[in-house]
Amino acid sequence: MTGERRVLTFLVRRTLQAIPLVAGIITLTFILIHSAPGDPVYLMAGDGGDAAYYSAMRARYGLDRPLPEQYIHYVRSVLSGDFGFSYGYQQPVFGVIRDRIPATLALSLPAFAIASILGIVVGLAGAAARDSRLDVALRLMTSTLYSAPVFWVGQILLLLFAVLIPIFPVGGMRSLRESTQGSVDPLDLLWHLVLPCASLSFSFLAIIARVTRASVIAETRREYVRAARARGLTPAAVLLRHAVPNALLPIVTVAGYQVGLLLTSASLTEAVFGWPGLGELLLDASAQRDYPLIIAILLTASIVVVAANVVTDVVYTAFDPRVEV
Amino acid sequence: MGYNPPLMSAELRRSRAATAAVLVIAMAAFEGCRRSGSADARDSLRTLVVAQGNDPGSFNPAITTSGNVHPVTDQIFNGLVGLDERLNPVPELAERWDVGNDGRAYTFHLRRGVEWHDGRPFTSADVKFTFEQALLKYHSRTRAALAPVLAGIDTPDPHTAVFRFHHPYGPLLQRLDVVEASILPKHLFEGVDVMSAPANLAPVGTGPFRFVKYEKGLFVELERNPRYFRPGLPRMERVVFRVLQSAITGVMALERGEVDYISSVPGADLPRLSTTPGITLVRSAGGSGGSFCQEVLIPNLTRPPFASRDVRRAFYTALDRSFIAERVYFGQGTPSTGPITRKLEWAYSPDVRTYPTDTAGAERLLDGAGYRKGTDGVRFTVTFTHPATAARLAQVVREQMKRVGIDVALEGLDFNASVEKVFVRKTFDLGFASFCNGPDPEIGVRRVYVSSNIGPFPFSNGAGYRSVEADALLDRAATLLARSDRAPVYATLQRLLTEDLPYFWIIDSDGTRAFRSTFTGFRPWAGGFAEAVERAGGS
Repeated sequence: MTGERRVLTFLVRRTLQAIPLVAGIITLTFILIHSAPGDPVYLMAGDGGDAAYYSAMRARYGLDRPLPEQYIHYVRSVLSGDFGFSYGYQQPVFGVIRDRIPATLALSLPAFAIASILGIVVGLAGAAARDSRLDVALRLMTSTLYSAPVFWVGQILLLLFAVLIPIFPVGGMRSLRESTQGSVDPLDLLWHLVLPCASLSFSFLAIIARVTRASVIAETRREYVRAARARGLTPAAVLLRHAVPNALLPIVTVAGYQVGLLLTSASLTEAVFGWPGLGELLLDASAQRDYPLIIAILLTASIVVVAANVVTDVVYTAFDPRVEV
Repeated sequence: MGYNPPLMSAELRRSRAATAAVLVIAMAAFEGCRRSGSADARDSLRTLVVAQGNDPGSFNPAITTSGNVHPVTDQIFNGLVGLDERLNPVPELAERWDVGNDGRAYTFHLRRGVEWHDGRPFTSADVKFTFEQALLKYHSRTRAALAPVLAGIDTPDPHTAVFRFHHPYGPLLQRLDVVEASILPKHLFEGVDVMSAPANLAPVGTGPFRFVKYEKGLFVELERNPRYFRPGLPRMERVVFRVLQSAITGVMALERGEVDYISSVPGADLPRLSTTPGITLVRSAGGSGGSFCQEVLIPNLTRPPFASRDVRRAFYTALDRSFIAERVYFGQGTPSTGPITRKLEWAYSPDVRTYPTDTAGAERLLDGAGYRKGTDGVRFTVTFTHPATAARLAQVVREQMKRVGIDVALEGLDFNASVEKVFVRKTFDLGFASFCNGPDPEIGVRRVYVSSNIGPFPFSNGAGYRSVEADALLDRAATLLARSDRAPVYATLQRLLTEDLPYFWIIDSDGTRAFRSTFTGFRPWAGGFAEAVERAGGS
């Protein structure tokens, strides 16, 4: 079987495997959300109504039907491409989510890229200078960043760089003093992106750095590295040409499998910085018990995580030809 | 373990310092460049940026009482009447009104020459359509109050609307402001589902500002309505509502000058903001989110121990409400004396049974009620189900009750869940709510005490209080027209309720708003708070 054909077969197989997973996610989310106390009608319609009013509203959205009936109706709708109608936004869920995806991508992709690159650099620096003062300092830094909750880091960054040293905005995605007509000013977007992106990337960076350090150090203990040194290669050449390429496998694995964590952290970051992405939407939808919107967001996130895992497996083969998909 | 020499070169070490220096310079240059690129626009004098706690989602004020929707839509739409600073009715879309047939008919003479933002004329047909197809069907408060008593709306001509009632009805005018009864354009809603009409996402009103743009989760932009019926208003060119879910972030944005107005200041930030140059704080008991509110503990009267009036009296006597007002609410309110806030001056009566803090007295009452202390010093345990936002209050209540031997177990839930548990499922001992009296006791007091409103739905008579006498007093007050006739009835009601003590009224709230001192003219008591805003010193 050719390489391309093998990858294609793998993708089809993984997609088929993902179907029961997605079905399970829909079912579990549906049950959990509907089991939680709270009623979307109250926040949708407001307070001070009478019993007849709330009953009429429930009937309007099918919330008065038995739960199994609601579930079957929902699954049927999803199968026909209809992800439901958002109570809070009074429009189809698909459109609400579609409008928020660009903001989440604008935050998560740079955070992912920066964290991966800087994480590898920091990890390499630590491995290269193992047990030196620099290494100890970097280990302390990565341990702190890894254990600091993302919302706390966000608040601290806000206090430092938006209040005490006011060089960045406290939130949002664009300045609103000037007209909002026309396209977004890229420089303005970048200015708003710095703090949330930093906040989101820190813990991820710490994980990559620690894995990189450990992985590179493990490689440098292997025989082929000693052999390279014995051949008279410079320390930098040994590190970059021999140890690093082999150390990349666990790094790629960790990076790919941490996409779920990145999405979770993005929710909290978006809430702290008022970044109008899917995470902020999920928090808002949860508070309002906007069931169709919650399920659709979690479904979207699940698909992204599954896709990231598949991509990780494919990328794995690029780094290690011995691995077959 | 073998020896592995450090592999970092001296070159690499030197480059660290250089990289750091480049980063700092790049950040400074970036900020300078960004600022210079939009300096003119950022200095715009005629834009008001308002912090908005949650995404509004859609913009139809006649189908919801949501505090996410109304702050925005109340600048776009109008009611038949407005409310002045003391929440008395003043002309808005109706320039005057007559009350006839002993309070059974209200005739509204509509302002002439008013146009919708799309240029179509505003007429009495819009009023009739809005009430019949939206407010009386979907606006929870207006439906609950008016649907049972309103006989019909007649429109004898395009500039007259007559509201007919089954019996005399006193508090109508306070129900007709933009918060309780925004008027919609009939021509955009007729023949379509009012709940999902396209105009709900592109609202067209008669108000001081026109809808321009909405980006979900980010902002809503409004612009000045040049044909607004009030000459010279509005004064700002643009109002932008910026979605900032976190209240802390909202305060920071205000301090930074990124927003100009926040409608709610977290108590912990009050001391700092009150001394921040360039920030003005103003207190108001009204607005889109509800007016004349009280923070209230809700005892479940249908089961022990709060079924006993002596226990309720003991509990209330053990509460130190002055401490709570000061330490929990940071002075944003005054300890309550009864079910009507003192801010609603004409209806409030101080001539009631009072409950000064007295732990010894509370203990005597509890002993007398049969709840003696056990060997562990505890008389009984109650669970306090509260929203997470009331966590600080809950902790103080627990500490204060410990002094008299009442063990308070705390159950902090998210807002929606706590509402469901207390008001709908009624599986609670002690609950919490912020009950707003509204511009008239008939709006916000009646629903909490009348026995016909014992749920199961939110913000109803959650305690489960039943009193034939209280029901009769509330019914009588609603059918009287003059405040001078209604006030004595409400005074009697307040005496009765403070004797029975169906709720524990904590404080009469005073919401604090904060704005940049470069602006003036806010009307924080009204839905349309931005109508008269201008730059301080004129724009």
